[in-house]
Amino acid sequence: MTLGLTPADRIVRHKFVDRAYHWVMAVSVLILLVTAFLPILGIKFEWVGIHWVTGLVLSIIVLIHIIRASFWQDFWSMMIDSGDLKAPFGKPGKYSLAQKLYHLAIAALVLSTIASGLLMWRKVDTPFWQRDPYWLSTESWGLVYAIHGLAAMALVTMVIIHVYFALRPDEWHLTRSMLRGWMTRKEYQDHHDPRRWSAKDEA
Amino acid sequence: MSLFRYASSIYGGSDMLIGANYGLLPWFALAGVVFVIAHAIFKAVAAPSRPR
Repeated sequence: MTLGLTPADRIVRHKFVDRAYHWVMAVSVLILLVTAFLPILGIKFEWVGIHWVTGLVLSIIVLIHIIRASFWQDFWSMMIDSGDLKAPFGKPGKYSLAQKLYHLAIAALVLSTIASGLLMWRKVDTPFWQRDPYWLSTESWGLVYAIHGLAAMALVTMVIIHVYFALRPDEWHLTRSMLRGWMTRKEYQDHHDPRRWSAKDEA
Repeated sequence: MSLFRYASSIYGGSDMLIGANYGLLPWFALAGVVFVIAHAIFKAVAAPSRPR
């Protein structure tokens, strides 16, 4: 129940800029996966242009996120700490151990696809340069393509798991907070340890 | 099934790595689906949500 709540009953979980980042990233990753894998599955279309432009968007927003998380957000709220290890299923701070592990895995996969994708960009004609397929040796290109492909396929697994948790009724308070930014005070008290996450009212 | 794709070098010698094996894509998707089903069964049977 969220109707009739005053701002004082709402706990801010995600600011607008962080929600915007999440959803731009989500759309970017979905576009990248669709443009990468539909042609492999036999649905042919001009995918390269959409793919590299979307990859560039993802690279820029991830860079902004890293800077923002490092200097303007509570960086350590997403890091695994001793409290997570002592009581992995106890009441967490802002994020549970499972969410931190998921974030770590997504970060590794997305950064792998971005790093390899930026190198592969050299093999595509863009407004900035002409393609140069000999920029790396054949062996090095093979490694770059292998990293990009394996990380992208692993992202398919991770996206399926993420959507599942977002749709589970017992996780709706988290999904709502990623849409509207807040959770109720009761949800905060039920699901979080105030000593580990001292949240602020929306008021 | 290999994780990688290889091609024969035009200069002979050993095969060269050319990328990931995209034949594994259904298996990665299946891994996600298996996790979802296993977790849903676990939550339904072993750890049902308590009313709050």
